[in-house]
Amino acid sequence: MAKDVFGEKGQQEFEPVIVAYCCNWCSYAGADLAGTSRFEYPTNIRIIRVMCTGRMDPTLVLEALNMGADGVIIAGCHPGDCHYQKGNYIMEKRFEYIKKAVQSIGIEPERVRLEWVSASEGGKWAALVREMTEQVKALGPSPFRVTGNSK
Amino acid sequence: MSEKREKMKRKTDATIDAFKSQRLRWVMGRSQIKMEVEEEKYKKAVDAIMHDEVERSLITGALKEKSALTVEELSKMTDLQPSVIVQHIIALRRNGVIAEAGEKNRQFLYKLV
Repeated sequence: MAKDVFGEKGQQEFEPVIVAYCCNWCSYAGADLAGTSRFEYPTNIRIIRVMCTGRMDPTLVLEALNMGADGVIIAGCHPGDCHYQKGNYIMEKRFEYIKKAVQSIGIEPERVRLEWVSASEGGKWAALVREMTEQVKALGPSPFRVTGNSK
Repeated sequence: MSEKREKMKRKTDATIDAFKSQRLRWVMGRSQIKMEVEEEKYKKAVDAIMHDEVERSLITGALKEKSALTVEELSKMTDLQPSVIVQHIIALRRNGVIAEAGEKNRQFLYKLV
């Protein structure tokens, strides 16, 4: 995950690594649709499929940042559309504490994002990845990024 | 590793441990149950517990690293005020997480149980 992306001269443009936790029923299908619809979006994203955002433990987000991820996206079904009824509501509440925890560590809270992407929103997914990549690029590398060999 | 980065790393590890703690998990899980407590009060309580648990994890993390430490040494390692550390030591001792381990320079040493 935490590879040196600065190249030999250390002058090349910084390419962030963004971990995306996508819910199986909506966002993962949305990301899949973005691919099959041939929407172009940056390759900085690393998608991890979870059954529901309600299953997401805050430690998963913190571990990803701790291991050198520059940003984390949590993508789930729109409110009211959760396959398990209220998983995304659980995540929404939990996300407040995740943001506070990230901020208290000293990491910019903008590196962590919660979004709702349905299975039919391939375009939204592509736009989200583009936007997040630009945002993280502007913030710069994560303080935990290993700039030598991969961890 | 720079000192700032090391401190951030230590705090991240402590925060991860705090989110794994039974106390914080239990209180966060309450958000799904209809409560008689006002939402603002509940949020403040969770914040306070999260804050406490992170500080306690910093203390136990330092003790894991250095087996036995005094309050002064713990304060240097964790950047917490000695008065705050003493409060947490009382709670951690009561919960059977840490215990006294002799004396050093007329100060009690503490170790993980």
